[in-house]
This record gives sequence, structure tokens and C-alpha cells, in this order.
Amino acid sequence: MKTAMQQPAPPECRQACDRMQDYLDQTLPKRESLAVFLHVRECGACRVQLETLQALYARLGEMPPIEAPADFDARILAAVPYENYRAMAPLRSPRVPVLLEQESLPAWLRSRSVRLVGLFAAAAALTAAASGVAAGTAAWTVAGVGCLPELSVRLQNLTRRVYVATVHRSIPR
Amino acid sequence: MFDRNEDLKLVRRCKRGEEAAFAELLGRYRNAIYGLCFRMTRRAEDARDLAQEVFIKVFSLLDRFDETYAFSSWIFRIATNHCIDHLRRNRMRFLSLDGFTGPDGEPMDLPLPDDGPGPDRLLERSEAMERLEEVVADLPPHYKVIILLRHDQDLSYEDIAVVLDLPLGTVKARIHRARAMIQQMLQARSYEI
Repeated sequence: MKTAMQQPAPPECRQACDRMQDYLDQTLPKRESLAVFLHVRECGACRVQLETLQALYARLGEMPPIEAPADFDARILAAVPYENYRAMAPLRSPRVPVLLEQESLPAWLRSRSVRLVGLFAAAAALTAAASGVAAGTAAWTVAGVGCLPELSVRLQNLTRRVYVATVHRSIPR
Repeated sequence: MFDRNEDLKLVRRCKRGEEAAFAELLGRYRNAIYGLCFRMTRRAEDARDLAQEVFIKVFSLLDRFDETYAFSSWIFRIATNHCIDHLRRNRMRFLSLDGFTGPDGEPMDLPLPDDGPGPDRLLERSEAMERLEEVVADLPPHYKVIILLRHDQDLSYEDIAVVLDLPLGTVKARIHRARAMIQQMLQARSYEI
């Protein structure tokens, strides 16, 4: 491939040359692309320039892939500090006010079994009230107390999410 | 070229501390990152060190990875910045004409511009390709990296703009300028490809 590149004098040649890379990248608008195509068909110098560029594109795309050395992965995997990374996990989680930390609620309140039992008791009390077996006020009290663990946990989660999405994100780090 | 969703899943697993996920990410990007580092520096030893530092940096910065961007763009950004910093720091060292190594770590002569074709240093690659690689290697770092990202890594202009944190127009202008420089260098050295 000849690498000689002479700047053509006529303005239409200069314009075609300016657009040639976009033409080959196929990023020119249709009309401009057609103009380059038609000009190159008629102009020998620009055709040579286009062929030169085309060959360069092709060659650049043919650069052979390079493979990493055989021991490459092993050296990196040995150097990555996984243990430290895992140990630092709590520090990476977003910081929220103490009241929004899960640990601020008593462990028994957060326990899945207490929450399930509470919900079950609430459902039973409401069913009894609806069927007339239990007094209305007592049933509503049991239902309220029964739902309390689940509601506390969910309310805390929701508030924490809102806090992280709004206040925490706006804190410069 | 790189599966963005699959990368994201692996990144999330890495963030949970899963070693296997990081090993998989490493497997996906090892050749691309090593290849970029090698073509930026033309020294196997430097390329290996740089690529390893890139992966360790990636691991340590995983928490800062913004999932709205592709992981590939992020890792290429870290790699390109790292290579360019390295070339800046070692500018004087690269003026030396000896001590270059091939991708396999074997010593390799730095081809001089007025050298004729050297059949003894052409192994599997064609002479033309060798000359083109030589010219690309001699480009200034900011032009070299953009040519490698476009033609070697096959990234789109848009992806390159994200990787280099440049406006799309600047990326296009720089790629056009880099190609023109390659043409001029080939011409100046009377190389035909």
C-alpha cells in the first residue's frame, strides 16, 4: 500500500478528504456519505487516498491478539487481599444514624420466629373478633401487639433505604 | 464484546467477597488488559506488572464502581490511566534503544526509523504488521491509547469517550488525528503496509 498522501488542492477534494474517516467509520449522514462516494468515484487522487485509509483501517484491525503469560492469574490471585476485604465489609456499608442500624432493635424483636408468631397471633385475634368469639377491644389489642415486631423491622428498613438514597448519597465522600 | 450484565453479576459477587467471581472477571479481561499494557509499553515485564497492578486496583476500588457504567469501560479507564502515568514517570527510560522485550519476554531490538526490513526479527507476524505496530508504538501516549482502544480492543467511539472521560467530539478528533499521524509516520519512514 502506498503511504504517500498529497493534499488535493480543489475544495471538493479537501472536503472529501476531511470526511473520509467518518465515511469509513460509517458515521457520516447519508447525504454526505453519498457525496464522498460520488466524488471518490470520479477523482483518482481521492480514490487512492481512500484506499490507503481503508488498508490502514484493515491493518489496524488485524493486530494480533496478545496473550497474558501463563502465571499471570496465579500471581494476581495470590496478591489480592480477600481476607482483609471481607474483614472490612462493615466499614464499606453506608453509614446511617444509630436508630436506623438493624442492631438498634432488640435481637428477639428482629427474630424471624417472633415476627411470625406475632403475625399469626394478630391474624387469629382478628379472625376471632370477626366471628364474634372474642371481644373487639381485646382482639384489636392483641392484633396490634402481634404486628409490632414485623412493623418495627419493616419501618426501620424502609427508613434506612430512604436515608441511604437521599441523605447518605448527598454526603461528599 | 464484553457482556455487561454478566460482568455486573460477577462484580456484585466480588463485592460479597467471592474469590471465584474475581477469578472469573480476571479470566475475562486478562488478555485485553495485558495486551493494552504491552502495546502501550512494548515491554513484557512492564506490561505484566502494570496489568497486575490494574487488577489489584480494580479489586480495591470495587466499592466505588458505579453500576450505571459498564465494567469494561471502568477497567479500561483504570488501565489506560495507569499506563499513561507509567509512561510519564518513565519518559526518559523509554528513550533508551535497548532493553525491549517481546510479548513472550524475549529480548527484542527496538526498530529504528531508518532500518530496512529485518527478516530475522519477523517471526509469525508479517513485516507490514511489524512496521505498523512499530509506528503505533511510537505515537504519543494519548494518541496511542485511543488507537488501541478503537482498533485493538474494538471499542466504539461512545465507549472510548466513557473510558477516557472525554467528549465524543474530542474522541473522534483525536482518533482522526492519530490515524493521520500514523499515515505521516509511515510515509516519513517510507513504509508500505
